[in-house]
Amino acid sequence: MSRRPPRGEYIETDTGNKVARKATLVGTQNIMLGGKTVIMPEAMIRGDLVRTLQPSPSSSGAPPNNTAVAIGRYCFLSRGCCLRPPGRLYKGLFTYMPLRLGDHVFVGPGSVVQAATVGNYVHIGAKVAIGEFAIIKDYVRILDDTVVPPNMVIPSFSIVAGQPARVIGEVPEGGHEAFELRELYKTVGNNPQPAPV
Amino acid sequence: MAPPFTPYTFIQCPCSDSSTFNRRSPPSTPTTHHFHSDNDDNDDDDDEHPFDPRAPRSNYSLFPLEYLLYCEDCHQIRCPRCVAEEIVTYYCPSCLFEVPSSNLKSEGNRCTRSCFQCPVCIGPLSVTSLESHPDPNLIPAPDNTSAAPHGGPYILICSHCAWSSTEVGIQFDKPNSIHAQLAKLRNGGNPRMTAKERKERRKDLAQSLGSSYSAASGSGYPSHFADELDLDLDLETQFSNLKLFYQSQLANANPGGGASGGSASGSGGAFGDLGFTSPTSLSRILNIYTSTSSQDKKAKSRIGTMREALDRDEGLKIANLDESEAIAKLHAEDHAGTVSTSQLLNQTPQLHLGEPHLHGRSRFASELRPIPYLLRTKRSKRCPICRHIISKPEAKVLTTRFRIRLVAGSYIPSITIRPLSLPNASTPDPSALRPSKPAQFVLTFKNPIFEPVKITLATPALTPGRFPSKVTVLCPQFDIDANTDVWDEALKDGDKRRKKGESMDSATGGNNGGQHQHQPAAGKIWERGRNWVSIVVEVVPASLRKPMPVVLKEDEDLLEIPMFVRIEWETDAMGDEVGAVLGKDRDLPKLKRELAYWCVLGLGRVSDQ
Ligand SMILES: [Zn+2]
Ligand SMILES: [Zn+2]
Ligand SMILES: [Zn+2]
Ligand SMILES: [Zn+2]
Repeated sequence: MSRRPPRGEYIETDTGNKVARKATLVGTQNIMLGGKTVIMPEAMIRGDLVRTLQPSPSSSGAPPNNTAVAIGRYCFLSRGCCLRPPGRLYKGLFTYMPLRLGDHVFVGPGSVVQAATVGNYVHIGAKVAIGEFAIIKDYVRILDDTVVPPNMVIPSFSIVAGQPARVIGEVPEGGHEAFELRELYKTVGNNPQPAPV
Repeated sequence: MAPPFTPYTFIQCPCSDSSTFNRRSPPSTPTTHHFHSDNDDNDDDDDEHPFDPRAPRSNYSLFPLEYLLYCEDCHQIRCPRCVAEEIVTYYCPSCLFEVPSSNLKSEGNRCTRSCFQCPVCIGPLSVTSLESHPDPNLIPAPDNTSAAPHGGPYILICSHCAWSSTEVGIQFDKPNSIHAQLAKLRNGGNPRMTAKERKERRKDLAQSLGSSYSAASGSGYPSHFADELDLDLDLETQFSNLKLFYQSQLANANPGGGASGGSASGSGGAFGDLGFTSPTSLSRILNIYTSTSSQDKKAKSRIGTMREALDRDEGLKIANLDESEAIAKLHAEDHAGTVSTSQLLNQTPQLHLGEPHLHGRSRFASELRPIPYLLRTKRSKRCPICRHIISKPEAKVLTTRFRIRLVAGSYIPSITIRPLSLPNASTPDPSALRPSKPAQFVLTFKNPIFEPVKITLATPALTPGRFPSKVTVLCPQFDIDANTDVWDEALKDGDKRRKKGESMDSATGGNNGGQHQHQPAAGKIWERGRNWVSIVVEVVPASLRKPMPVVLKEDEDLLEIPMFVRIEWETDAMGDEVGAVLGKDRDLPKLKRELAYWCVLGLGRVSDQ
């Protein structure tokens, strides 16, 4: 045992995901990672909350889609955040529905996301609560401590804050590049690179 | 505890200086460049334009780089305050449906589908079936993906604070077109007439009452009809009645005006010719109420033949001053039953829907109405000087692409600030600013364009304000390499170029003694990379207690440095764009360009000890 190199803090997968050993991934078979995603220690993904009602079991012979949480590329899940599929009564029966994150989604420390979909280039601050079935479009910035009510739709280029959340501003034209997470990806892992200038 | 301070850079838009704003920046031809390369004359510019970031006007001209656009024709920065905006698309921020601009005039600027905000907390309202538990045997029909599969009636319910439309006595028969259904419902569930229905009803009433109605002024209706109509005399109807009435009064007061063009030139005869809608006519009507001077006597006596509205049909609305009912309700319902100012402000004046009159409106929570979502827009932006479009989003609501997006960040260097922490320094918190204790900050300039640029900086030696801090830019002039392709850079070993302590003067550049001897020094760059350069700024914060303890005004402890930045670069004569292709024919004459602006560096707050 002692001859082995010391285990890194992160498991780095073939597709470039960096998953902290201290992250809690429940039901990993139902969690899809697009690649180059960072999952920090103490982050949690509830892949076990898979949908119990399939949309159309009879229409095709395809196996049922059991994805509970789908995450795109270059997402960053900070320490202590939680991704949790939303659930509701569907024709009298309770079922979970999949939670989908696009590319370049940053989830801040201590935030809980129960959205239906989060688009591309979304920054979710620290200690944010995103209610069930919320829909967050692309290029959205959610400031710290925001509470996004269930079912709320947040259109693209919104800056959102408050409890309940309200749109407090518009992402300016020059602010699009700041959502890019490629550089942040390089700064964590077993061989972290210094942040570029 | 206050959140940690994040240093910032705000840039001043040229529109704040009206003396130069309307002048295009000088055309950059090889003959007309007029800057000096001397080190010594930097101060000339800031003497001409003293800039105080604390001046009240500065609030309106300083922006973070992301908020600035750039006009490629004027070669100048443009800010949200000076660009001309044009609306490309209107859409509902909740259902994301586009609203044709033709609908806006008739339907107003709110979503007319089923998108509402909670009148209590502004959270989104969802349509839910009141039917609590549907028969579980009816479930298996999974292909039906409707969110509200149950039967009616339906209500609006807030997903944040659980307010529901049942609290104001409103429920709906259908789960869709809530806006149209709500327009026909009063709080409590009684039907409410739309403006059109009211007009027709009024006509019917008038006919049933016979011809005597029109002659009698005001008292023509039997009292029970009058009450009902009074309740229904909404703002829109009242306004149109008043307008009609005054139009007829003007026509009577000035019978000949319409025909003769000659009298229209006189002061009294303008009405008929210009018509009621002209601003001149309106100002004359206002004049009836405001003018006291004797020179208008003639006009006044003419206008004096006009009378005021006397009945409902002419737009008269008697204010209901009897508030005993409201007072009794207040006694019964207490403070909790009333609405807050912000809730009241969020309520929409639904004029086109036949909103009841303002008197005594919406003081109680039971009078609140769901708020239809205000539409949002996608807008393109034009340069205010040359009218070229500098930002234009795609019209479709669901796309985030832009056809044109000339952001300042692609043309002028970004400036980032961090406190300098030397490895051998003993200060525990380098970002803390203490009075009279020198502090050093690293400014990093990153060049976004494909040409090398020369940067010249100037700051006042002392910051403006009651508590001047000393400022020294250790290296006020330096060059930054071009923003070359990252792959080009990788091929020629970029790390070699990232060297520390590089001197401006190569003769004195003998600083090879390793990392620990790397000290900030005058005239020397701190660090250099592919397309960036760091320099050091030293500040000696002022004491906030000198000469005697004073009461600090807001943000007087904030250490802000005004800095004048001048960028000079050369570009190909052919390609007018800054990003001209590298390695083009070198025989082409190069154009010298320059851009200069003020910015302010926010370094931190000076502590009071
Ligand atoms: Zn401007
Ligand atoms: Zn809508
Ligand atoms: Zn609410
Ligand atoms: Zn222009």
